[in-house]
This record gives sequence, structure tokens and C-alpha cells, in this order.
Amino acid sequence: MARSNKSMRREAAVPFILKFLATLALIMLLAPVVVVILAGLNAGDHLTFPPKGLSLRWVIAFFQSDAFLPAYLFSLVLAVITMILSTILGTTIALFLARAEFRGKQMMRAFFMAPLMLPGIVLGLALYLFYLSSGLGLVRTMPGLVIGHVLVTCPYVVGTVNAALVGFDISLEEAARSLGAKPFKTFRSITLPVISPGIVAGSVFSFIVSFGQFDVSLFLTPPDSNPLPIALYSSLRYTFEPTAAAAGIFAIFLVVVSMLITAKLTNLRKLANVNFS
Amino acid sequence: MSAFLQTIGKPGRSALLAAPGLLFFFIFFVVPLVSLFLLSLDKPSIGNASVQWMFETRNFERFFGRALYYEAAFRSAGLAALVSAITLLLGYPLAFLIAKTTDPRRNTTLMILVLCAMQLDMVIRLFGLMVLMGDVGVINEFLRWAGLIGEQPLALMYNFTGVVVGLVQFSLPFMVLSLVGVIQGINPSLEEAARSLGARRWQTFWKITVPMSMPGILAGLLLVFAISFSSYVVPTLLGGWKVVVLPIHIFQQVAELGKWQFGAAIAVVMFVISFVVMLIYQRAAARASGGRI
Amino acid sequence: MTKERNKPVGLGRRSLLKGGAAAAVLAGPVSLFNINHVWSKDVMWDGQPFDAGGATIRINEWGGFWQEFMQKTAIDEFEKTYNCKVAYDSSFPWFPKYVAGGPKSPAFHMGNWNLNEIIKLGKVGDFFLSTDELKENLPNAPDCWDFAFGSGLGVTWGFGQYAHVWRTDLVDPAPVGFKSFWEERFDNKRATYITSNGLFMTFFMTAAAEFGSGPDDLKAGFEAMRAAMPMKISDFTGNMQTLVERGEVQMGVQWEGEIFLQMDKGISVAPLTWEKKPILTQTHTVSRYSDPMEKKLALALVNTKLDPVFQNKAAETFYLRPSNKNAKLPERLTSKGVTNTADALDGLWIPDWNWYLDNEDEIVETVNEIFAG
Repeated sequence: MARSNKSMRREAAVPFILKFLATLALIMLLAPVVVVILAGLNAGDHLTFPPKGLSLRWVIAFFQSDAFLPAYLFSLVLAVITMILSTILGTTIALFLARAEFRGKQMMRAFFMAPLMLPGIVLGLALYLFYLSSGLGLVRTMPGLVIGHVLVTCPYVVGTVNAALVGFDISLEEAARSLGAKPFKTFRSITLPVISPGIVAGSVFSFIVSFGQFDVSLFLTPPDSNPLPIALYSSLRYTFEPTAAAAGIFAIFLVVVSMLITAKLTNLRKLANVNFS
Repeated sequence: MSAFLQTIGKPGRSALLAAPGLLFFFIFFVVPLVSLFLLSLDKPSIGNASVQWMFETRNFERFFGRALYYEAAFRSAGLAALVSAITLLLGYPLAFLIAKTTDPRRNTTLMILVLCAMQLDMVIRLFGLMVLMGDVGVINEFLRWAGLIGEQPLALMYNFTGVVVGLVQFSLPFMVLSLVGVIQGINPSLEEAARSLGARRWQTFWKITVPMSMPGILAGLLLVFAISFSSYVVPTLLGGWKVVVLPIHIFQQVAELGKWQFGAAIAVVMFVISFVVMLIYQRAAARASGGRI
Repeated sequence: MTKERNKPVGLGRRSLLKGGAAAAVLAGPVSLFNINHVWSKDVMWDGQPFDAGGATIRINEWGGFWQEFMQKTAIDEFEKTYNCKVAYDSSFPWFPKYVAGGPKSPAFHMGNWNLNEIIKLGKVGDFFLSTDELKENLPNAPDCWDFAFGSGLGVTWGFGQYAHVWRTDLVDPAPVGFKSFWEERFDNKRATYITSNGLFMTFFMTAAAEFGSGPDDLKAGFEAMRAAMPMKISDFTGNMQTLVERGEVQMGVQWEGEIFLQMDKGISVAPLTWEKKPILTQTHTVSRYSDPMEKKLALALVNTKLDPVFQNKAAETFYLRPSNKNAKLPERLTSKGVTNTADALDGLWIPDWNWYLDNEDEIVETVNEIFAG
């Protein structure tokens, strides 16, 4: 019976112990999410768990909040801009690394990974200092913040596009070119289809990492416009409010929506892959 | 223009295309980093963040001369290694499950569940974990109710365990996403061939699937290592100050004590460790892919 | 004065693009753009509202709910009255931003924060106007209690007494004094803060005084920290509130305002205070080397915070005690026995931040080791 259904058969091939560990992993990932969602739907006056009944009062409070709603929207804009820039820069860098032959290429790959290895706060502090001393007028500005975000998200794009390029035969491009195709045409019809899962994966990473970014933002945040993680931090320093949990619900909601869109555009299973070597 | 593009050839064109990205990294990553490194070679002083070009090693002597600091380097690296291992242990099965789930709906649902956990803000997550893992949290209350522990609660957070749990939660999605595509990319006929030759399910898994997904495993390990090694906010919020890692020291030195030079020196140490780890990864990855072809 | 600031920006960009001046870029802001601000030292404000012509003043002040309150209560109207824009930076910590810019190009023109960091900056450089200079420029100054200007730098507009919070429903018998914190029954149920928090610093000095020869008895302070282990370490007061509310912590280091807030929320807590009354302050600074217009705006903004009406509202919202003699305390403070009279200030103790900061290095390193266990 199982044999007649191909997908059933393959799923049955997952050994029990692996299923058990996978379930454990999912529980571990999702337990705090569930707590926060319930806390955000709390009907009581304070952030309590278990919630005192369910209601939308804190969700409504989130929409009326002067602190959280603008921060949420600001983070959204920031993440979109970061995603676009990172995807473009990261893709071109990955293509360059795949095609160019020079000594120290491996070192260079390692170098593009480096922003992930440094603590975000160090990167933020170093950039803050650099903005000040260079006089580029980037201190406490939106462009200055975007630069920091691009630095920590670009490595993901480089990694995912690079992974998509593994095994890609560059001679295919050469063949197309020798048949008279223009460079751009070659890129569109030969290269792009190969690397597009990597590009999509990289942009999803960029978006999520930028939206949730705390460390890099801490010293680069412009006045009057806080990204959500910073707004939450400044607010929760003073007191834990249910509105913050409601804001958390909407951050998660955003991921769900963006992933549903991505799923419409591409096969989610194919998109994921990273490679830094 | 077209002729020019022809003459510089493919690598030349891609270099031209990548020029904005390369320039971007040079200006906003290399220059700030180099100035930070220069700062680490200045005389230690308080409240001075400009480079004095002194080229002396006092900050590094202090780092390697006091256990508080060099032990933190081992703690940071050890923590990151442990988190990477646990994340692999939990993430591989999950990625395997997702890769083998062919129903697109279930597949998408699983991916979304993994990703939305990533988006839970750290400060709010702190509250969630307090509810679950605190001394009077859900887990301890359950264990107490079941009679498995006495009055004394299990210390699950505000210590090393708390940091590990926090980091595993945060980095697990990265591991899963590094693996799903690779496992998915393994030609199923290979696994089927092994099965038809009489290999048991486990043998197939260990002998075929795991080695074939080695590039993904290595990339995931590297990513998780990087994330855990450089995290400031997780050890701060969940460690109860019992897990003072290098990023916390840097933050303390710069933001609390105004000692940019010493903070910069610790950053340099971190950078060197990361680079070594990165090179080890590349070696391993080259071997893994070399063995495959 | 905006022109004055724009000049070096253009210069910097050109030299950067040339690449030849990379060395100069790396050398940092102070040496490159040492704008001579000496003339702005003598700015005086006559106490009258003026038209700032749309100038922007940068301030550092707490975020979240605090920011919402400040916007509504003071800043929105201030912006209208003075025709200016207030750029509000709530992402703490600000100390490194001041340091990075140096005193001559201040990161912010006005700040609202805690004394420990203000005095720390004062030790590093000539960042802020002295209390005497502030006094001369603030029309509301004569109405304030002396301690508002007692710190050498900045002016204090609100304060709260330092206290221990304890759970009245979980702790029996009731604690009797500061040292109760160390009783065995509070093992792992007591909590203080990380070393960067001013509440920790006050806690350390008070412990040194209670167990040793005085607030500057380092050894006694360290011994007290050691004896308090196992202990939970919180990084900010909001987290402490939650720890106490959930019963993870039964006695914690806090200041009275947060405890009063929890009491009015219906949580069974009470403050524990003692004869020596260390206080935590909300203190304003005005950066000395701000341009004249921004400096005048900063003084004017500080003055609005010294206004009794503003302080009434702050007391109502944050349970902060006022520094203005004429401020009326709200019922929620008077009901807890707080008064705004001269004798209420007897025994107030502003910790010796100078001593603490001189020893901060050693304290931070040693306490890191103690907390790590």
C-alpha cells in the first residue's frame, strides 16, 4: 500500500530516532514562541503566564503604540532595503569568487565570512568610530545603519549563492557565448536559473537577520527611529509589557507571510543551502 | 563598451560587476577594522578612541596575563563548539525530516515553523524562557509535581545551560537551512541502490546520506559556530553573568569602562580565532568535496 | 553654525576618496576636525523662549514608555515653542558615543541619565557644563533643593531612594535590615545587577559601608559579594521586576519607584530601606562644546524639567521624587509616606562616584570573577 505512494514510502524511510530528535528540536524551537504568543494574547493587565484569559487588547495596544508600531514599520523598511542591497552585492561577489582565479582566493572567501564572526556590537562600534572620523556624515543615520546591516547579511548571500554555484559548469556559459549570446543574455538564461535558489535563500536570510538584528543596531540606530529589537530592549529595560509580546507576535507573523510568498515563488526545499569554501 | 567587455574576459567582467561589493567591503569593513586593530596597539587609556600610532603590545600582554580574559577565550570557543555540536545533533534529523517530506504543504509548514522561531526577539524570548525554564517555571513545576525533584529547582537558566539553550534555539534554523538543500540534493537512487543491495536503513543513512551531506554539515557547523562565538545578547540575558564570554568583555571595556584600546585588543583576538576556525573549515570542506568527486 | 559643521564633512569625503589621507581618517575625529568652539563657552540664556529657526538638538534619554511620556509631557510642546526639532536617542549606552566623539564634538547636546556615567565622562574630559554654570542659566534653579546641584556635574530633577524589594507573601519572617539580604533563606532567591548598572554600584558601596569600615572599603565590598552567592544577576530593572513577579527572586536590589509601581499593580512586595539613604538620580547634562543655538536650546529644555508642574507629572507616572521645592507629590507617593520637605532630605546620600570610578577597573574584574563563581 505504502509502495503505491512514492512520497509515503520516502517519508517512511525516516528512522524513529531521527524523528524523535527532529520532534525534540521542533519543541525546543517552538516552546518559547508559544509562550510569547499566549502572553501577547493575554486578557490580564500585566505580562503573566499562564495568561488570564485570551483577548486582543494587547494586539490593539500594539497598533496604538507610539513606541512599537513605528519601530516595527521601520524595521520592515530597513530589512527590505538591506535585503535588496545585500542580495545584489552578495550575488556579484559570489559570482566573482567563482570565476576569478587568483592566489589567496580561499583567504578572500574567508574574509567575506568574517562579519559573521565578529560580535555585532564590535562591528557597530567600529563603524560608529569610522563614521565619525571619516566625516562621511553617516553617524546616527539610516544609511549608516543600513551599511551595518548589509555587512552582517551579505555573507549569507555569498554563502548561499556560492553553494548554488558548486558543481555549476562554467563552460556552459562559454558555450553559450561562443554560440553568439550576449553576456547579459547568457547570464539570464544560463547562470541565473542555476543560482536563483541561492539568491532566494540568501535574501530570505538577509531579511530575517536584518529584521531581528540587535547587536549591530545598538550603536548605529538613528535618533527617533528605532528598529524593533532596539525599541523592545529600551522599553523592556523599564518594564516588561504585554504589548511587547504582541509586537513579537507580529514579528513572527511577518516571517510566516514572507515565507508563504517565497513558497509561492519557489520550492522551499531547494532554496536552502550554504557554502563558504 | 561591448568590445571592452570582450577584451577583459569573463573574470574581468565579473570583477567589474563585483566592484561595488568589493569596494563596499573595503570601505566599511576593512578600514574600520584596520583602525580598530591599530587602536589595539595603542597605549591603554580611558575615554580616548582615536588612533595614536604607538605600536605597543601592552593590551595584549594584559589579555594573556590575566586568567579572567584568556580563560574567556577558551570559554567562548568551547561554548561555540558545544552549541555547534548540539545544533548538529538536533538540526540534522530535523533537516532530514524536512528534506524527505515531499508533500509541499507539510514541507512549507515545517520550514515556516523553523524560521519563525528564528524571528522571536531576544528580549521577549528571555521572558518566554523564564516562564519555561525558571526556578518556578513550567519544567521545574512539572518535575516537582512528578516527584522527580525536591524543593530545590533544577538550575536551567541564568547559567551555562541557559546560554546553551538560548544559542541552540537561535542558531538551529541556520543549521537546518544549511542542511535541507544538501540532503535534498542527494540523488535518491543512491540511497535506494544501497537499500536494494541489502543495506539496512541505518547503514544507508550512515554510509550514504551523512557523508554525502558533509558540505552542508560543515557549512552549518561554521555558521552556528560564528553565531554563537560572536553573540553578545544571549550570554548577557541568559547567562546570569556566569558565562562571561569575549563579546561581554569587549562591551564592558568599551561601553562601561571607556577602554577602547583594550576592547579592540580583545576584538583582534576574536578575529584571529575566527579566522583560524574559518581556515580549518575550508580545509575540511575541500577534503569532503574532494572525497566525493 | 551648520555651515561650520558641514565644512569638514566635505573635506573628509574628498580626502577619503583620494585615499591618500587614510592615515588622517584613522587618526580619529579629535585631531582631524578640531573645531574651535571656545566662543560657545560663554553662551548665556536669558530664560525667555526664543525662535531657534528649526535647529535640531540631539538628546540622549531613556526609551520606551519613558520616551512616550517625555514626548507628550515636555518635548512636543517644547518643539513648538522654540521652533526646533528634538532628535531623541534612546539606545543606551551613550557613554561610548560621547567618548568616540570627544568633548569638542559632543554626541549629544543634552542628556538625561545617571550620575555614575556623567561623572565618568567628567573624569575623561571636559564634556559638560558645571553645576554652577547650569545654575546661572536656569530660571527654575532657585526653586530646587540644594542636592539638585550637589553632584558637581549636571542638574538632578528627579530621584528615588535605593531599596531592596521583597515578596511579602513568600518571605516570612519579614527581613529587618540591609544585611537580611545575606540570610541563607535567600540563597539563589536574591538578586542584584551587572556591574554596569548604577544600582549595582550603589549596592556595592552600601555593602562595603555596612560590612566594612566605609563605602570605600573594597575588601569588605568584595567579601559581601562573595557571601551573597549564589545570587541571580539581572541586567536591568525591568528584568528584575519580572523575576520578582514570577517569584524567581524573593529579595532584590531595586529603587523605590519600581517597587511602588509593583505595589500598585497588586503584587505582594514591599520596599526595605535603612537609615543611610543612598539615592538614584535622574540627572541632566548640557554639553559644553555644543554650538550656541543648541546649547541655548539644551538649557531651555533642562529648565522645563525643573518645572514643578512637569515634576508632578513625572512623580505621578514614574514615582520619581521631585527636586523642585514647589512640586506637589501625588497621592500614590504620599500614600507610601514620601514627602517633599526639607527634613525628608535629611540623611540622603549620594554615593561617592569619584571613588567608585577610580576603582571601577578592579571592581569590575573582581566582581566578574565572583559572579562567574
